[in-house]
Amino acid sequence: MTCQEFWSTMPELEGEAAPEAAAHGRECTACAAVLNHHGALAAGLRGVAAEWGRLKAPGRVEARLLAEFRGQAGLAAPPPARRWWSPVLAWTAAALVVAAAFLLFAGRVRQPRTPANTAAGAEAAVTDWGAFLPAEMAGDASAGEFIPLPNADRLPQDTDLNVVRVEVPRSAMIALGYSVAADRASERVRADVLMGSDGLARAVRFLDE
Amino acid sequence: MAEIPAETDDELLLRMRSGDEQAFTALYRRRQAAIYRFALHMSGSAATAEDVIQEVFLALIRDDCGYDPERGTLAGYLFGIARKLLLRQLERRQADVPLEAGEEDSVLPERAARPDPLAALTRKEGFAALRRAVETLPPRYREVVALCDLEEVDYAEAAFVLGCPVGTVRSRLHRARALLLEKLHQDRHPRLDALDPARSLI
Repeated sequence: MTCQEFWSTMPELEGEAAPEAAAHGRECTACAAVLNHHGALAAGLRGVAAEWGRLKAPGRVEARLLAEFRGQAGLAAPPPARRWWSPVLAWTAAALVVAAAFLLFAGRVRQPRTPANTAAGAEAAVTDWGAFLPAEMAGDASAGEFIPLPNADRLPQDTDLNVVRVEVPRSAMIALGYSVAADRASERVRADVLMGSDGLARAVRFLDE
Repeated sequence: MAEIPAETDDELLLRMRSGDEQAFTALYRRRQAAIYRFALHMSGSAATAEDVIQEVFLALIRDDCGYDPERGTLAGYLFGIARKLLLRQLERRQADVPLEAGEEDSVLPERAARPDPLAALTRKEGFAALRRAVETLPPRYREVVALCDLEEVDYAEAAFVLGCPVGTVRSRLHRARALLLEKLHQDRHPRLDALDPARSLI
Protein backbone atom coordinates (compact mmCIF):
# COMPACT_ATOMS: atom_id res chain seq x y z
CA MET A 1 0.00 0.00 0.00
CA THR A 2 1.32 3.45 -0.94
CA CYS A 3 1.07 6.51 1.28
CA GLN A 4 -1.57 7.94 -1.08
CA GLU A 5 -3.62 4.78 -0.81
CA PHE A 6 -3.15 4.76 2.95
CA TRP A 7 -4.57 8.31 3.36
CA SER A 8 -7.41 7.64 0.94
CA THR A 9 -8.77 5.20 3.53
CA MET A 10 -9.06 8.18 5.93
CA PRO A 11 -7.46 6.22 8.73
CA GLU A 12 -7.76 9.11 11.18
CA LEU A 13 -11.56 8.82 11.01
CA GLU A 14 -11.61 5.10 11.66
CA GLY A 15 -11.65 3.61 15.08
CA GLU A 16 -9.83 0.58 13.80
CA ALA A 17 -7.89 0.55 10.54
CA ALA A 18 -8.15 -2.27 8.03
CA PRO A 19 -5.25 -4.78 8.40
CA GLU A 20 -3.42 -3.51 5.29
CA ALA A 21 -3.72 0.14 6.36
CA ALA A 22 -2.67 -0.74 9.89
CA ALA A 23 0.43 -2.45 8.50
CA HIS A 24 1.34 0.63 6.47
CA GLY A 25 0.83 2.81 9.51
CA ARG A 26 3.35 0.73 11.42
CA GLU A 27 5.92 0.52 8.59
CA CYS A 28 5.86 4.09 7.21
CA THR A 29 7.36 6.45 9.77
CA ALA A 30 6.16 9.59 7.91
CA CYS A 31 2.55 8.40 7.83
CA ALA A 32 2.82 7.17 11.42
CA ALA A 33 3.96 10.66 12.50
CA VAL A 34 1.07 12.36 10.71
CA LEU A 35 -1.37 9.84 12.11
CA ASN A 36 0.05 10.64 15.51
CA HIS A 37 -0.66 14.33 14.91
CA HIS A 38 -4.20 13.47 13.88
CA GLY A 39 -4.58 11.65 17.19
CA ALA A 40 -3.43 14.75 19.05
CA LEU A 41 -5.77 16.90 16.98
CA ALA A 42 -8.73 14.62 17.76
CA ALA A 43 -7.86 14.83 21.47
CA GLY A 44 -7.65 18.62 21.19
CA LEU A 45 -11.06 18.77 19.51
CA ARG A 46 -12.51 16.64 22.29
CA GLY A 47 -10.96 19.06 24.75
CA VAL A 48 -12.54 22.07 23.02
CA ALA A 49 -15.88 20.24 22.94
CA ALA A 50 -15.63 19.53 26.66
CA GLU A 51 -14.58 23.09 27.41
CA TRP A 52 -17.58 24.50 25.54
CA GLY A 53 -19.91 21.71 26.58
CA ARG A 54 -21.62 23.71 29.29
CA LEU A 55 -22.42 26.68 27.05
CA LYS A 56 -26.07 27.26 26.33
CA ALA A 57 -28.29 30.03 25.03
CA PRO A 58 -29.03 32.89 27.45
CA GLY A 59 -32.22 32.54 29.47
CA ARG A 60 -33.80 35.57 27.81
CA VAL A 61 -34.11 33.59 24.56
CA GLU A 62 -36.34 31.03 26.26
CA ALA A 63 -38.47 33.81 27.75
CA ARG A 64 -38.95 35.44 24.34
CA LEU A 65 -39.75 32.14 22.69
CA LEU A 66 -42.25 31.23 25.38
CA ALA A 67 -44.02 34.55 24.86
CA GLU A 68 -44.14 33.84 21.13
CA PHE A 69 -45.38 30.30 21.77
CA ARG A 70 -48.17 31.56 24.01
CA GLY A 71 -49.14 34.11 21.43
CA GLN A 72 -49.15 31.49 18.71
CA ALA A 73 -51.10 28.98 20.79
CA GLY A 74 -53.49 31.65 22.06
CA LEU A 75 -52.46 31.02 25.66
CA ALA A 76 -52.48 33.66 28.35
CA ALA A 77 -49.34 34.19 30.37
CA PRO A 78 -49.54 32.23 33.62
CA PRO A 79 -50.11 34.28 36.79
CA PRO A 80 -46.94 35.07 38.71
CA ALA A 81 -46.00 32.36 41.18
CA ARG A 82 -47.41 32.95 44.66
CA ARG A 83 -44.91 32.91 47.45
CA TRP A 84 -45.82 31.70 50.94
CA TRP A 85 -44.95 35.01 52.52
CA SER A 86 -46.93 37.26 50.21
CA PRO A 87 -50.32 36.83 51.98
CA VAL A 88 -48.58 37.26 55.36
CA LEU A 89 -46.98 40.45 54.13
CA ALA A 90 -50.26 41.73 52.73
CA TRP A 91 -52.16 41.11 55.97
CA THR A 92 -49.38 42.66 58.07
CA ALA A 93 -49.37 45.75 55.88
CA ALA A 94 -53.14 46.01 56.12
CA ALA A 95 -53.02 45.70 59.91
CA LEU A 96 -50.36 48.41 60.13
CA VAL A 97 -52.42 50.74 57.96
CA VAL A 98 -55.48 50.22 60.15
CA ALA A 99 -53.45 50.81 63.33
CA ALA A 100 -51.87 53.95 61.91
CA ALA A 101 -55.25 55.26 60.80
CA PHE A 102 -56.67 54.62 64.26
CA LEU A 103 -53.82 56.41 66.03
CA LEU A 104 -54.08 59.33 63.63
CA PHE A 105 -57.80 59.56 64.17
CA ALA A 106 -57.45 59.32 67.96
CA GLY A 107 -54.74 62.00 68.02
CA ARG A 108 -56.26 64.49 65.64
CA VAL A 109 -59.98 64.13 65.84
CA ARG A 110 -60.53 63.09 69.38
CA GLN A 111 -63.81 64.24 70.76
CA PRO A 112 -63.18 67.08 73.20
CA ARG A 113 -64.43 66.50 76.70
CA THR A 114 -67.70 68.35 76.94
CA PRO A 115 -68.32 69.72 80.40
CA ALA A 116 -72.00 68.74 80.24
CA ASN A 117 -74.82 68.63 77.83
CA THR A 118 -76.46 71.48 79.55
CA ALA A 119 -77.09 75.07 78.63
CA ALA A 120 -74.57 76.15 81.23
CA GLY A 121 -72.02 73.85 79.72
CA ALA A 122 -72.68 75.30 76.30
CA GLU A 123 -72.17 78.79 77.62
CA ALA A 124 -68.86 77.72 79.16
CA ALA A 125 -67.82 76.16 75.89
CA VAL A 126 -68.00 79.47 74.08
CA THR A 127 -65.75 81.27 76.49
CA ASP A 128 -63.52 78.46 77.75
CA TRP A 129 -62.32 76.73 74.62
CA GLY A 130 -59.54 74.96 76.47
CA ALA A 131 -62.03 72.88 78.40
CA PHE A 132 -62.95 71.13 75.16
CA LEU A 133 -59.43 70.00 74.40
CA PRO A 134 -57.96 66.58 74.98
CA ALA A 135 -55.57 66.60 77.93
CA GLU A 136 -52.37 66.36 75.78
CA MET A 137 -53.52 69.28 73.62
CA ALA A 138 -54.68 71.43 76.49
CA GLY A 139 -51.29 71.17 78.16
CA ASP A 140 -49.33 72.16 75.05
CA ALA A 141 -46.95 74.85 76.32
CA SER A 142 -46.24 76.17 72.85
CA ALA A 143 -49.93 76.83 72.20
CA GLY A 144 -51.50 80.28 72.50
CA GLU A 145 -55.08 81.16 73.33
CA PHE A 146 -57.97 80.21 71.07
CA ILE A 147 -59.06 83.21 69.04
CA PRO A 148 -62.67 83.28 67.89
CA LEU A 149 -62.93 83.50 64.15
CA PRO A 150 -64.67 86.64 62.79
CA ASN A 151 -67.96 84.92 61.98
CA ALA A 152 -68.05 82.61 65.03
CA ASP A 153 -70.47 84.78 66.98
CA ARG A 154 -73.05 84.42 64.22
CA LEU A 155 -72.90 80.59 64.32
CA PRO A 156 -75.29 78.58 66.51
CA GLN A 157 -74.02 77.46 69.87
CA ASP A 158 -72.51 74.01 69.67
CA THR A 159 -71.20 71.82 72.46
CA ASP A 160 -70.16 68.98 70.21
CA LEU A 161 -66.80 70.42 69.26
CA ASN A 162 -63.79 68.81 67.64
CA VAL A 163 -60.23 69.99 67.49
CA VAL A 164 -58.29 69.47 64.29
CA ARG A 165 -54.58 70.12 64.22
CA VAL A 166 -53.43 71.49 60.88
CA GLU A 167 -50.48 73.24 59.29
CA VAL A 168 -51.08 76.58 57.58
CA PRO A 169 -48.84 79.23 56.06
CA ARG A 170 -47.77 81.83 58.63
CA SER A 171 -49.40 84.45 56.39
CA ALA A 172 -52.79 83.07 57.53
CA MET A 173 -52.12 84.63 60.96
CA ILE A 174 -52.32 88.16 59.46
CA ALA A 175 -56.11 87.89 59.08
CA LEU A 176 -56.36 87.33 62.85
CA GLY A 177 -54.35 90.39 63.77
CA TYR A 178 -50.86 88.92 64.06
CA SER A 179 -47.93 90.75 62.54
CA VAL A 180 -45.88 88.54 60.26
CA ALA A 181 -42.53 89.46 58.77
CA ALA A 182 -42.55 89.27 54.98
CA ASP A 183 -39.57 86.90 54.88
CA ARG A 184 -41.41 84.41 57.13
CA ALA A 185 -44.80 84.60 55.44
CA SER A 186 -44.32 81.36 53.60
CA GLU A 187 -43.25 79.35 56.67
CA ARG A 188 -45.68 76.79 57.89
CA VAL A 189 -47.09 76.89 61.40
CA ARG A 190 -49.18 74.38 63.33
CA ALA A 191 -52.65 75.43 64.40
CA ASP A 192 -55.55 73.87 66.31
CA VAL A 193 -58.91 74.59 64.70
CA LEU A 194 -62.04 74.20 66.81
CA MET A 195 -64.79 72.74 64.61
CA GLY A 196 -68.47 72.48 65.35
CA SER A 197 -70.56 69.41 64.56
CA ASP A 198 -71.82 71.36 61.55
CA GLY A 199 -68.26 71.33 60.15
CA LEU A 200 -67.74 75.05 60.59
CA ALA A 201 -64.70 76.43 62.37
CA ARG A 202 -65.28 78.44 65.54
CA ALA A 203 -61.83 79.37 66.73
CA VAL A 204 -58.17 78.81 66.09
CA ARG A 205 -54.96 78.94 68.05
CA PHE A 206 -51.41 78.88 66.77
CA LEU A 207 -48.81 76.63 68.27
CA ASP A 208 -45.66 78.11 66.73
CA GLU A 209 -46.04 81.81 67.16
CA MET B 1 -39.04 0.36 39.98
CA ALA B 2 -38.54 0.80 36.25
CA GLU B 3 -37.73 4.28 35.06
CA ILE B 4 -40.28 5.97 32.85
CA PRO B 5 -38.59 6.48 29.48
CA ALA B 6 -38.21 10.13 28.49
CA GLU B 7 -40.49 11.31 25.75
CA THR B 8 -38.96 11.40 22.31
CA ASP B 9 -38.54 14.66 20.44
CA ASP B 10 -41.39 13.71 18.13
CA GLU B 11 -43.72 13.01 21.04
CA LEU B 12 -42.87 16.35 22.59
CA LEU B 13 -43.41 18.02 19.24
CA LEU B 14 -46.87 16.48 18.96
CA ARG B 15 -47.85 17.80 22.37
CA MET B 16 -46.32 21.14 21.53
CA ARG B 17 -48.40 21.34 18.37
CA SER B 18 -51.52 20.97 20.50
CA GLY B 19 -50.50 24.01 22.54
CA ASP B 20 -48.71 22.28 25.42
CA GLU B 21 -46.29 24.84 26.78
CA GLN B 22 -44.43 22.36 28.96
CA ALA B 23 -43.70 20.20 25.94
CA PHE B 24 -42.25 23.18 24.12
CA THR B 25 -40.10 24.09 27.12
CA ALA B 26 -38.85 20.51 27.46
CA LEU B 27 -38.00 20.33 23.77
CA TYR B 28 -36.27 23.68 23.79
CA ARG B 29 -34.19 22.84 26.86
CA ARG B 30 -33.20 19.49 25.40
CA ARG B 31 -32.01 20.84 22.06
CA GLN B 32 -31.00 24.46 22.43
CA ALA B 33 -27.49 24.09 23.84
CA ALA B 34 -26.01 22.02 21.00
CA ILE B 35 -27.54 24.25 18.33
CA TYR B 36 -26.42 27.37 20.16
CA ARG B 37 -22.84 26.06 20.36
CA PHE B 38 -22.93 25.03 16.71
CA ALA B 39 -23.96 28.58 15.83
CA LEU B 40 -21.23 29.92 18.07
CA HIS B 41 -18.57 27.73 16.44
CA MET B 42 -19.76 28.75 13.01
CA SER B 43 -20.14 32.47 13.59
CA GLY B 44 -17.69 33.17 16.40
CA SER B 45 -20.28 35.62 17.73
CA ALA B 46 -22.50 35.17 20.78
CA ALA B 47 -24.98 37.75 19.43
CA THR B 48 -25.31 35.90 16.13
CA ALA B 49 -25.65 32.57 17.93
CA GLU B 50 -28.44 34.05 20.05
CA ASP B 51 -30.26 35.33 16.97
CA VAL B 52 -29.89 31.99 15.26
CA ILE B 53 -31.19 29.90 18.17
CA GLN B 54 -34.17 32.22 18.43
CA GLU B 55 -34.94 32.00 14.71
CA VAL B 56 -34.60 28.22 14.71
CA PHE B 57 -37.18 27.75 17.45
CA LEU B 58 -39.44 30.45 16.05
CA ALA B 59 -39.51 28.45 12.83
CA LEU B 60 -40.50 25.40 14.86
CA ILE B 61 -43.23 27.31 16.72
CA ARG B 62 -44.65 28.71 13.50
CA ASP B 63 -44.15 25.42 11.70
CA ASP B 64 -42.50 27.39 8.90
CA CYS B 65 -40.14 24.81 7.48
CA GLY B 66 -42.24 21.66 7.41
CA TYR B 67 -40.43 19.09 9.53
CA ASP B 68 -40.96 15.56 8.22
CA PRO B 69 -40.03 12.75 10.66
CA GLU B 70 -39.74 10.37 7.71
CA ARG B 71 -36.78 12.29 6.36
CA GLY B 72 -34.69 12.70 9.49
CA THR B 73 -34.61 13.49 13.17
CA LEU B 74 -35.94 16.67 14.73
CA ALA B 75 -32.45 17.48 16.04
CA GLY B 76 -31.07 17.20 12.50
CA TYR B 77 -33.89 19.36 11.21
CA LEU B 78 -33.14 22.06 13.79
CA PHE B 79 -29.42 21.93 13.00
CA GLY B 80 -30.36 22.23 9.34
CA ILE B 81 -32.35 25.44 9.90
CA ALA B 82 -29.49 26.85 11.98
CA ARG B 83 -27.03 26.00 9.24
CA LYS B 84 -29.08 27.74 6.55
CA LEU B 85 -29.39 30.85 8.68
CA LEU B 86 -25.68 30.86 9.45
CA LEU B 87 -24.63 30.39 5.83
CA ARG B 88 -26.91 33.23 4.86
CA GLN B 89 -25.31 35.41 7.52
CA LEU B 90 -21.81 34.38 6.50
CA GLU B 91 -22.57 35.21 2.89
CA ARG B 92 -23.76 38.64 3.93
CA ARG B 93 -20.69 39.24 6.02
CA GLN B 94 -18.40 37.73 3.38
CA ALA B 95 -16.38 36.41 6.22
CA ASP B 96 -14.89 33.46 4.43
CA VAL B 97 -11.17 33.09 4.87
CA PRO B 98 -9.73 32.30 1.44
CA LEU B 99 -8.08 29.01 2.17
CA GLU B 100 -7.87 27.85 -1.42
CA ALA B 101 -8.59 24.19 -1.57
CA GLY B 102 -10.83 21.96 -3.62
CA GLU B 103 -13.34 19.95 -1.69
CA GLU B 104 -11.91 16.59 -2.56
CA ASP B 105 -8.24 17.64 -2.61
CA SER B 106 -6.00 15.52 -0.52
CA VAL B 107 -3.43 16.92 1.82
CA LEU B 108 0.00 15.49 1.32
CA PRO B 109 1.20 13.85 4.48
CA GLU B 110 4.70 15.22 3.95
CA ARG B 111 3.41 18.78 4.11
CA ALA B 112 1.49 18.22 7.30
CA ALA B 113 4.43 16.42 8.86
CA ARG B 114 6.73 19.46 8.95
CA PRO B 115 8.48 19.83 12.27
CA ASP B 116 6.64 21.82 14.92
CA PRO B 117 8.14 24.67 16.87
CA LEU B 118 8.90 23.39 20.32
CA ALA B 119 6.99 25.91 22.30
CA ALA B 120 5.95 25.00 25.77
CA LEU B 121 2.29 25.89 26.01
CA THR B 122 -0.43 25.02 28.40
CA ARG B 123 -3.32 22.87 27.37
CA LYS B 124 -5.71 25.81 27.55
CA GLU B 125 -3.58 27.81 25.13
CA GLY B 126 -3.58 24.81 22.83
CA PHE B 127 -7.39 24.73 22.89
CA ALA B 128 -7.56 28.45 22.19
CA ALA B 129 -5.28 28.06 19.17
CA LEU B 130 -7.39 25.18 17.93
CA ARG B 131 -10.60 27.18 18.31
CA ARG B 132 -9.06 30.00 16.32
CA ALA B 133 -7.99 27.54 13.65
CA VAL B 134 -11.53 26.13 13.44
CA GLU B 135 -12.92 29.65 13.02
CA THR B 136 -10.66 30.27 10.02
CA LEU B 137 -11.81 27.17 8.15
CA PRO B 138 -14.03 27.75 5.14
CA PRO B 139 -17.67 27.26 6.16
CA ARG B 140 -18.14 23.89 4.46
CA TYR B 141 -15.28 22.46 6.52
CA ARG B 142 -16.04 24.42 9.64
CA GLU B 143 -19.59 23.11 9.77
CA VAL B 144 -18.55 19.50 9.51
CA VAL B 145 -15.96 19.92 12.28
CA ALA B 146 -18.48 21.77 14.43
CA LEU B 147 -21.08 19.06 13.93
CA CYS B 148 -19.05 15.86 13.98
CA ASP B 149 -16.07 16.74 16.17
CA LEU B 150 -17.40 19.40 18.51
CA GLU B 151 -21.04 18.35 18.86
CA GLU B 152 -20.47 14.65 18.24
CA VAL B 153 -23.23 14.35 15.68
CA ASP B 154 -22.84 11.05 13.83
CA TYR B 155 -22.02 10.96 10.14
CA ALA B 156 -25.51 9.92 9.05
CA GLU B 157 -27.14 12.75 10.99
CA ALA B 158 -24.54 15.20 9.72
CA ALA B 159 -25.27 14.05 6.17
CA PHE B 160 -28.96 14.86 6.76
CA VAL B 161 -28.11 18.28 8.15
CA LEU B 162 -25.73 19.12 5.34
CA GLY B 163 -27.89 17.56 2.66
CA CYS B 164 -25.12 15.38 1.23
CA PRO B 165 -24.08 11.71 1.24
CA VAL B 166 -22.27 10.23 4.23
CA GLY B 167 -19.17 9.75 2.07
CA THR B 168 -19.02 13.50 1.47
CA VAL B 169 -19.25 14.16 5.17
CA ARG B 170 -16.28 11.86 5.75
CA SER B 171 -14.19 13.36 2.98
CA ARG B 172 -14.92 16.88 4.16
CA LEU B 173 -13.99 15.95 7.69
CA HIS B 174 -10.77 14.33 6.44
CA ARG B 175 -9.95 17.48 4.52
CA ALA B 176 -10.98 19.75 7.40
CA ARG B 177 -8.71 17.99 9.86
CA ALA B 178 -5.80 18.16 7.44
CA LEU B 179 -6.41 21.89 7.03
CA LEU B 180 -6.51 22.31 10.78
CA LEU B 181 -3.14 20.58 11.17
CA GLU B 182 -1.72 22.72 8.40
CA LYS B 183 -3.12 25.87 9.99
CA LEU B 184 -1.70 25.00 13.39
CA HIS B 185 1.74 24.43 11.88
CA GLN B 186 1.57 27.58 9.78
CA ASP B 187 0.74 29.70 12.77
CA ARG B 188 3.65 28.14 14.65
CA HIS B 189 1.26 27.50 17.38
CA PRO B 190 1.56 25.10 20.21
CA ARG B 191 2.87 21.71 19.56
CA LEU B 192 0.08 19.32 18.89
CA ASP B 193 1.21 17.57 22.02
CA ALA B 194 -0.17 20.51 23.93
CA LEU B 195 -3.63 19.68 22.64
CA ASP B 196 -3.49 16.20 24.01
CA PRO B 197 -4.13 16.18 27.74
CA ALA B 198 -2.21 12.94 28.18
CA ARG B 199 0.81 14.15 26.23
CA SER B 200 0.88 17.51 27.89
CA LEU B 201 1.60 15.76 31.16
CA ILE B 202 4.73 14.09 29.83
